[in-house]
Amino acid sequence: MDASELQPVEQFLAAHSPFDSLPAEVISRCAKNITVGYYSKASAFVEFDTQNPKLYIVRSGAFEVRDPEGILVDRVAEGECFGFSTLLSGEKVVNKVAILEDGLVYHLPQAIFAQLRAEQRSFDQFFARAFAKRLRNEGRFKAKDLTTTSRITSIMCAKPIIVQAHDSVIDAAKIMRDHRVSSVLVIDNDKLVGILTDRDLRNRIIAEGLDVNTLVSQAMTVSPITTHANALVFETMLTMSEHNIHHLPVVDGSKAIGMITSTDILRAQRSQPLLLIGEIGRQANIDSLIQVSKQIPLLLQNLISADARAEEIGRVLTSVTDALTRRLIELNQQILGKAPMAFCWLAFGSQGRQDQVACSDQDNGLLLAHEPDELAAAYFEALTQAVCKGLDQCGYVYCPGDIMAQNPKWRLPLNQWKSLFKHWVLTPEPKALMHASIFFDMRAVFGPMSLFSELQDDVLASTKDNDIFLAGMAGNSLTESPPLGFFRKFVLERDGSEVKGMDLKHKGSALINDIARVYALSAGIKEVNTAKRIRVLMEANIINRKDALNLADAHEFIAHMRLANQGYQVTNNLPVNNFLKPQHLSSLLRHQLRDAFKVVHDAQAGIKLKFLRSF
Amino acid sequence: MANLWWIKTLLWRSKTKVLPLPLQNYLAAITPVLNQRFIDAPLMAIDLEMTGLDPKNDQVISIGLVPIVKGEIPLAKAQHLMIAISGSVGHSATVHGIVDHQLHTALTLPEAMSWFLSQTEGHILIAHHAPLDIQFIQQQLVRCFGHSIPLVFIDTLAIEKKRRLQQQDILQQGSLRLGASRARYHLPVYSAHNALVDALSCAELLLAQVAAMGDVKKLTVKKLIDVIG
Amino acid sequence: MDVQTLTYLIVGATFALYIGIAIWSRAGSTKEFYVAGGGVHPVMNGMATAADWMSAASFISLAGIVSFVGYDGSVYLMGWTGGYVLLALCMAPYLRKFGKFTVPDFIGDRYYSQTARTVAVICAIFICFTYIAGQMRGVGVVFSRFLEVEVETGVYIGMAVVFFYAVLGGMKGITYTQVAQYCVLIFAFMVPAIFISVMMTGHILPQIGFGAELVDAAGNGTGVYLLDKLDGLSAELGFSQYTEGSKDMIDVFFITGALMFGTAGLPHVIVRFFTVPKVKDARVSAGWALVFIAIMYTTVPALSAFSRVNMIETINGPDSTGVDYETAPSWIKNWEKTGLITWEDKNNDGKIFYTSGDKNEMNIDRDIIVLATPEIASLPAWVIALVAAGGLAAALSTSAGLLLVISTSVSHDLLKKNLMPDISDQKELMYARIAAALGVVMAGYFGINPPGFVAAVVAIAFGLAAASLFPAIIMGIFSKTMNREGAIAGMVIGLLSTAGYIAYFKFINPAANTSENWFFGISPEGFGMVGMFINFGVAFAVSKVTAKIPDEIVEMVESIRFPKGSGEAHDH
Repeated sequence: MDASELQPVEQFLAAHSPFDSLPAEVISRCAKNITVGYYSKASAFVEFDTQNPKLYIVRSGAFEVRDPEGILVDRVAEGECFGFSTLLSGEKVVNKVAILEDGLVYHLPQAIFAQLRAEQRSFDQFFARAFAKRLRNEGRFKAKDLTTTSRITSIMCAKPIIVQAHDSVIDAAKIMRDHRVSSVLVIDNDKLVGILTDRDLRNRIIAEGLDVNTLVSQAMTVSPITTHANALVFETMLTMSEHNIHHLPVVDGSKAIGMITSTDILRAQRSQPLLLIGEIGRQANIDSLIQVSKQIPLLLQNLISADARAEEIGRVLTSVTDALTRRLIELNQQILGKAPMAFCWLAFGSQGRQDQVACSDQDNGLLLAHEPDELAAAYFEALTQAVCKGLDQCGYVYCPGDIMAQNPKWRLPLNQWKSLFKHWVLTPEPKALMHASIFFDMRAVFGPMSLFSELQDDVLASTKDNDIFLAGMAGNSLTESPPLGFFRKFVLERDGSEVKGMDLKHKGSALINDIARVYALSAGIKEVNTAKRIRVLMEANIINRKDALNLADAHEFIAHMRLANQGYQVTNNLPVNNFLKPQHLSSLLRHQLRDAFKVVHDAQAGIKLKFLRSF
Repeated sequence: MANLWWIKTLLWRSKTKVLPLPLQNYLAAITPVLNQRFIDAPLMAIDLEMTGLDPKNDQVISIGLVPIVKGEIPLAKAQHLMIAISGSVGHSATVHGIVDHQLHTALTLPEAMSWFLSQTEGHILIAHHAPLDIQFIQQQLVRCFGHSIPLVFIDTLAIEKKRRLQQQDILQQGSLRLGASRARYHLPVYSAHNALVDALSCAELLLAQVAAMGDVKKLTVKKLIDVIG
Repeated sequence: MDVQTLTYLIVGATFALYIGIAIWSRAGSTKEFYVAGGGVHPVMNGMATAADWMSAASFISLAGIVSFVGYDGSVYLMGWTGGYVLLALCMAPYLRKFGKFTVPDFIGDRYYSQTARTVAVICAIFICFTYIAGQMRGVGVVFSRFLEVEVETGVYIGMAVVFFYAVLGGMKGITYTQVAQYCVLIFAFMVPAIFISVMMTGHILPQIGFGAELVDAAGNGTGVYLLDKLDGLSAELGFSQYTEGSKDMIDVFFITGALMFGTAGLPHVIVRFFTVPKVKDARVSAGWALVFIAIMYTTVPALSAFSRVNMIETINGPDSTGVDYETAPSWIKNWEKTGLITWEDKNNDGKIFYTSGDKNEMNIDRDIIVLATPEIASLPAWVIALVAAGGLAAALSTSAGLLLVISTSVSHDLLKKNLMPDISDQKELMYARIAAALGVVMAGYFGINPPGFVAAVVAIAFGLAAASLFPAIIMGIFSKTMNREGAIAGMVIGLLSTAGYIAYFKFINPAANTSENWFFGISPEGFGMVGMFINFGVAFAVSKVTAKIPDEIVEMVESIRFPKGSGEAHDH
């Protein structure tokens, strides 16, 4: 068939961006690969084929893209597209597309979309921009990295180095030398007229053999590409890579208000957590360390308000705790002297799992290479007491259950740790199981990895395939169930007459942690972070792929809801706890939360069947 | 829209006759489709360009085929075929934009009908004001094979008429034409006119009509089909 | 109130109790309780084990068999009790140390072979099916009498009740539900026994009444001892004497053996030893379970003797010539409706008469004895109703456990581990439920068309277990040389030979089922022990000519028999 006969389709494409910039034969190739669908208001939402993501080009009708919380992200009418965020990010569809007005939609398959992006630069840029715009409009869920969504003004250099257009290049070079910068903005009558860089001086003055008194206006790059104050970091990065430049004046109207370099962006990307961790490592005494630790709540606030993924928040906060612990050990060793033997500082519970939230209490222990003599015992007693006290002062309060390295019960040589774990495994009585759920999520924060591995390998060898112990663990994890009643109604907890809501921690996240732990111990998997455990279990084919993905999603979603709820509680001056009242949620969110709980419920039924042989 | 029982009876009756093999196969292939859901059934929108409106005397110049698969139209599978005719295209060429020299590259009628049967075998045909196109096809079958067979089709005009009447619309002159019908479903106006574009227009119209009827997933084709023996 | 209404009330009340406990223990309040209390008390666990253990066969059929065949019936008593001791002392502690929850898992790991595991799974499923079939028959008898329907209809109702209980109820496997079930069943069993004991001998404890003098209505001793009276009656009517066995010694020995070793291989009871966290507690609760089982088992001979005497006297009348059918006691008419008692007036005298040989006019199903005893002794209606509840409790507690073994074995061991490793949780659960439903249906079929009485059907299950799983477990624990090939060959041939022998005499050629045709005079019920010897023999022979077992398995066997881990030291 002659492709040009699909004239109406081709004409339409040729009249709309970004296809309008494509050559005729490419348009004709697009047209040939399109499938046509019709969407009626009666079906309310566009049903996405998750297996085959596509670009949806609206031929007629009107559509609305809303994020999972129901917030409007984009309105799409004739000639516009949706579905590209999924194609670009490779993530699964989270947004919903409501059908406002019946209409015809062209579907462009992913393969063709990818081909066009690779071949046609303008096509690629169009969607990259559209995606950036989306990120800005869209609130929470898409934001994976807080820097890409933050504004340029927050990271630019606010006092740009300036030269006048009528200055000589030698003066300009002196200013650049004095300020140790590789570029300056060129101003004429308070207006930005150009930019002068090291390269300009090299290429246009020295290489050309021009006089050092040449005017800046002759050497500068005229009307440079700029970015505006309100731009996202993401967009700025895009502009820089498009034009292969590393310096970008920031303007407000025609007035230069700052300068941003690729180094600034790089620095900002790894900004707060890494900076804080670096700062922690630099502190020379305990008092200043405590001072630095005061920034942690702020970091949490920033992370929550930037809507980072809950899992990332947990990992970031835990790495700060780890750094703090390490620095405290180092500083105290400077006071107490070198340790008499190799040892590991163990983190348990949420720190072990890398899912700390606010400043939680400490759960830690000490693993010694061998039986200490009296002198060594005294050394480690002093060390652990000092470190635990330091942590307490930094905001990690003493563990109410006394699971701390300063407690001699949890400061043991390798062989005693081994037999302690073996005892729990062989005698899975309730108390042992309760301990197990904390201690089996262990990680070495400080000390030789080989020593820790020796313990972990031994422990996992004893739990792997030990069905009796695993049945005990599974049974223990089933004593709580997600707050769903008959007909999938939420079950709310009450305190007298007052409705407290749903406990998202104990009847949500903790249950998923438990499930992942049982599977991980059954298979001898070393990971302790719940998301990582689920991923490894999926890869090892121990959990069915679909079940694993569902569980991981439910884990992130419930954790996110918990953080968002706590953010809400803080801003509304309510006591901060884990209880969520469902009436505070949109119906869409309620629906999703119900689905997440249903996933937890099903996964519990799964471990009941597998490990307890019951249903 | 005819009763399924009646359609089956017609098909069964003609199966008892001695027919050329391609026609026999064609009949056998259509029967299982009749009970399928709309979303699963193989459908093929057709449009013919003719030299006139009389099936007995006028000839088919070109055929456009546009399939509907799983409720969507894959343009990659749209096809357009020219047929060599005896005599000149005459004044209708001004309507279709087809001129004689284009037709020199076309297939002969028997070739074209074999092609048509192979492409639409096991498909329910779709056309706007279908009886005309169907009668033309059947007439061409008689010319090529000496026999005709019942053809099962969906007529978007009949559907539109029924829907309008159900909604107590007063049917005005021309309000059931393809373009007018499409406009009611916010379907775009296509300037071009040929068998392929009209088949596409018709296929799009059916999708829109079906979407407007409500739950597409539950709809079965037997609610839409008709037959001409 | 009549018996039927009372039955509805009491059975309803016991079900409400089980449901109530299930809801209470799910309410979440148990977690604190559980952790604080350090788990379930060994006495409670002992009761739960006893409830798991004592099936409809024990409750309904055991006394019937002893009552009808006298001394010979006690092989069941000895076999089952012996088997329990064997299980508790010789096997459970080692299996526990091995860390395996199910017998097939133990066999699979010990014999380092997925095939061995699969063979063991199939054996276990086979055994459980046979065992549930016995339970179904028991439940059917209970329902048929108290709803006054045919026994087949009773089985259908029973199937539905058991299915809902095991698959949808969410009540099974909860220790406290089983404790309640034990209480119901032991109360239901003891009350009529004590009543009759007091009435006939003046002793409260049936166990003492069994060997005591009979008393007259005024409570004065008559100088005639119960057993003498029973032997006298039996001799008079041409039955073999109650205290004298008629079976060959060898058959008795083999049946006892098959029951004993089979018990040890039963998959659903062994789990109970693993759900107790401490080894010591497991031993203590095993002891308690034995005590609780003994309470019932020691009552069985007394109850059967009482009801035998009562039954013969009420049928044949004071002058031992029979009573008029018109004036016959109501229990006979009631049970006639179930088809489990039939009367054929051979001499046309209008009288019912029970004896041995051709002159016998009464055809009485043994399985009704326990249920009919209160009626025969004219006890109050609530006692009769209570017994129905007890029978149901016995059947439910056992069959729920068995159905779980079948369904999870099919879904997890066969499907997930062998056939479809990538199955999702929900699918696995669905297949488990389907397997449970199929299990109930098949068991129901055999409950309607039983190859024997409840206890005999159950005995077959034990025979199969003795011939297949028991040797594999014992050799797994105590032999350092038994290899994969030997164990698999032993299990397969042991199971097939026993199943074949039973199938021949029970299904293919039931007419030939007499001691002359039996192999060395060993009945199908006792052949399981022969199968066990065949299993041992084949396994030994095959292991001699095939590859040696890997060193790490030798080490594993040594470690479970001689614990060296310091973990145990902490505990004791």
